[in-house]
Amino acid sequence: MASKKATAVQTPGADAGVEFIDATSAKTGLSSKGLSAGTIGLLGATVIGISCIAPAYTLTASLGPTAAAVGTQMPGIFLVGFLPMLLVALGYRELNNAMPDSGTSFTWATRAFGPWLGWLGGWGLIVATVVVLSNLAGVAVDFLYLALAQIFGNPGLADLAGNIPINIFTCLVFMVGACYVSYRGMEATKSVQYWLVGFQLIVLVWFAIAAIVRFADGGAFDATPFSLDWFNPFSVSSFSAFAAGVSLSIFIFWGWDVTLTMNEETKNPKTTPGRAATLTVAIIFALYLLVAIASLMFSGIGAGALGLGNEEISGNVFAALAGPIMGPFAILLSLAVLSSSAASLQSTFVGPARTMLAMGHYKAFPKRFASISPRFKSPGFATIIAGVVAWGFYAVMRVLSNDVLTDTILTLGMMICFYYGVTALACVWYFRREAFSSARSFFLKFLAPLVGGVILAVIFVTTLIDSTSPDYGSGSSIGGLGLVFILGAFLLLAGVILMLVMRAVNPAFFRGETLKRGTSTD
Amino acid sequence: MTRAANYVVAYEATERGREAIELGIALARLTGAQLRICLVLPQSTSVPAKVPTSAADYEGIIARQAQLWLDEAMEWIPADVVATNHVLWAESTSEGLIEATTTFHSDRIVVGASRTGILRRFTIGSVANALLHASPVPVALSPRGYRASGRISRITCAIGTRPGWEALLDSMVAVSDGLDVDLRFVTLVEVDADAALPSSSDLHLSAVLRYFNERQRTEGAVSTEVAVGATVEAAVENLEWRDDEIAFVGSSRLASPSRIFLGSTANRMLHSLPVPLIVVPNDAV
Repeated sequence: MASKKATAVQTPGADAGVEFIDATSAKTGLSSKGLSAGTIGLLGATVIGISCIAPAYTLTASLGPTAAAVGTQMPGIFLVGFLPMLLVALGYRELNNAMPDSGTSFTWATRAFGPWLGWLGGWGLIVATVVVLSNLAGVAVDFLYLALAQIFGNPGLADLAGNIPINIFTCLVFMVGACYVSYRGMEATKSVQYWLVGFQLIVLVWFAIAAIVRFADGGAFDATPFSLDWFNPFSVSSFSAFAAGVSLSIFIFWGWDVTLTMNEETKNPKTTPGRAATLTVAIIFALYLLVAIASLMFSGIGAGALGLGNEEISGNVFAALAGPIMGPFAILLSLAVLSSSAASLQSTFVGPARTMLAMGHYKAFPKRFASISPRFKSPGFATIIAGVVAWGFYAVMRVLSNDVLTDTILTLGMMICFYYGVTALACVWYFRREAFSSARSFFLKFLAPLVGGVILAVIFVTTLIDSTSPDYGSGSSIGGLGLVFILGAFLLLAGVILMLVMRAVNPAFFRGETLKRGTSTD
Repeated sequence: MTRAANYVVAYEATERGREAIELGIALARLTGAQLRICLVLPQSTSVPAKVPTSAADYEGIIARQAQLWLDEAMEWIPADVVATNHVLWAESTSEGLIEATTTFHSDRIVVGASRTGILRRFTIGSVANALLHASPVPVALSPRGYRASGRISRITCAIGTRPGWEALLDSMVAVSDGLDVDLRFVTLVEVDADAALPSSSDLHLSAVLRYFNERQRTEGAVSTEVAVGATVEAAVENLEWRDDEIAFVGSSRLASPSRIFLGSTANRMLHSLPVPLIVVPNDAV
C-alpha cells in the first residue's frame, strides 16, 4: 500500500483512465466551501481585481516599451488594446459558467479542442506566468536597490542593480523567498491587500499630478503638451507599431478578467463579478490614462536621459522618473512598486503551479507534477519547478540581453496573446452547436470570442514576424535574429517538443482517455 | 461531561498525522469514545495574480487526494475503535479543526505535536501551537514516534498552586469516572541544588488529594508526587514515566474563558515530556 510519501493521486486498483474530477461532488465535507463562500462584496472583488493587475508594477514595466512603439499615441492604444481583452473575457466567462468544475485554459481548451491544442494552451499559460515571475523579480530587484539608495541617501546603492552577479543573486533571494511562501501556502491577509492597493493608487495619482505640475511649471524634462490626438490610435506610424502597442496593452490589462470568474466567493454571484470587473477596469483605465499622459507630458518620447524612448530606462521607467518628478517623496513610489511586485511575485506562483498540477493529474505532464505536499496540501513539486525555471530564465536573459525587462515584456505580450487566443477560439468551438440559438448566445458565445481571438491571432503573428528584426525590443540579437523572436519561438517550440515527448512516454492523455472532449450540448 | 463522546483527530499524511491517530486510538480505548479523523484542506484566500487561482478542478484533485490519504489512515484503526473520516475546508488547519469540534460536538482534539526539526523531543508544530491558543475543548498532544499501547495504565496530572487548579481536578474527576486507571498528581518545583524543598508543595498536594478524594469515582490507585529539578524541564525528566501513561495539565490563568492557553510552565514541560499531554481549558466540565 502506498506509504506516507505517496504523492501523485493513486486510484485504488487499476491505473487506467483518470476520470474527470467532478469538483462539486468532491467538495463534500462538513465545512465545504461554507467558510468563505459568498463573503466578498463589490469593494472586495474590485480590490482583488486591481491587486491582480498590479498597476504600479505594470506601468513601470510597460510605459517605456509602449512609448517606444507608438510614441504619443499611448492613450489611444490603451483604448484599443482593451477591446480584445474585453471580447475574450466575455467568452471566458461563458466557458466558466458552462464548465464551473474546470479551472484553467488547459481544461477548457482540452475539452473544446482535444488534447493537442489543450496541451499547448496550458503550456502557453505556464510559460506566460513563469516569464512574468522573472520580470516581477527583476523589477523588485531594481526597486530594492533604488529604495535603499533613497533611504540611505547614497545614490551609489541604486547602481548595484546594474551589477549582473549581484542582480542575479538578489533575484534568487526574492525568488526563493516567494517560492517558499507559496509552497507553505502562506497568504497575505485581506487588510494587507487593501492597504497595498490603496497605497499603490494614491502614489500613482500623486506621481501623475506631480508630473503635470512640473510640466505646468516649465520644469518638465521634455515638455510635450497634451493633445486630443493622443487618443487616436490610428495615427500610429505603421501596423507593426500598432500591433506591438496592442500586444503591450494586453499585457497591462492582463489579470482583469479574473474577477469575472470569481463566482463562489462573491456575495451575489450573478451580479458582483460583472460589476466588480467593470469597476476595476474603469479605475484602472482612468489610472493608466492619467499616468501615461502625465509621463508623456513630462518626459516626451525622445531618447534623452529621462525620455520615454530611452532604451536604458525603458524597462523600468519609474526608477528613473521618480526622483525628478516626486523629489523627496520618490521613496514612496519605490515602495509602492516594490510592494506591488513582491506581493505579485508570491501570488503569481499559484496559477502555474496549479495548472501544472492539473496537467500532471491528467497525465499531460509527468506524474511528479501532480504531487501534493502532505504537510502543506499545496502543489509542492510544481511550485518549486516554477521558481527554478523562472529564476533560470531570468539569469540567462540578464546575461544575453541589453535590457532583460523590456525584452521579457515583449515576449510576454506574445505569450498572453497566444494562450488567450487559444482560450477564445476554444470558446467558439465548444459552443458551436448552440451559437445560433439566441441573440445572447450568438454574441457572447460566438461573435465576441471569435473577434477577440482573431484579433489576438493577428497581433500574435505580426509581433512574432516583426520580432525577427534585430532592432526589435532592446536591440539584442543572436545571430542576426531579434532576441525577442528567438525567445518566443524557443518557448513555443520547446512546448511542441515536450508535448511530443510526453505523447511518446505516456499517450493516455493524448488519446483522450483522461480528459474527454465535448461540446456544450453534450 | 457526557459519555457519548467523540474526539476530532487532526490528520495529515505524515508521521505526525500517524502519531495523532495512534493517540486517538489509545484515548478511544480508554474512554470508549469514537474518533472523527479530519483532514483539513486550505481554503485559498490569496489574491490571484494575472491568472485565476480558484481553479475548481484543482480543488477537486486535492479533495480526491485527501480522501485517498484518509482511506489509507483508516487502515490503522483497530477493530475495537469506531472511527469516521472527513475532508474539511478551512482557511487554516486549526480553524477547520475547531469548527469541526462544534459540528461534531466533540470533546477533544487530538493532534500530533512533533516538529520536523533537530530540536528536542517535544517542540510544537504549528497546528498544535495554534490549537493550544484557541481551542475551546481539551487538546491532546501526541509526541514524536508515539504508538498506542494496549491500554493506558496511569494518568499523571500536573497541578500548580495558582488559582484554577480546582477546575483541572474537576475534569480529572470526570475523565477518570468509572475507569480502571491509576492517577498521579504531581507538582513541579524548581529549586537550586542546595535549597530546601518548600513544604508548601506537600501541603498543596494534600489539599489536592483531599479535594479529589471527596469527588472521585475512579477504580485505580491514586498517588501524589513532588517533582524537583533545577528547571521545569529537569523536574519533568526526574519523574518516572511509564510507556503507557498520559499527562494532563490545565490552562494558564491568562486564558480567555473556555479557551485554552498554554501557560509558561506547561509550555516548558512540553520540552522534556516523553508521554502525550492533554491541555484542559479552565472551565472544562
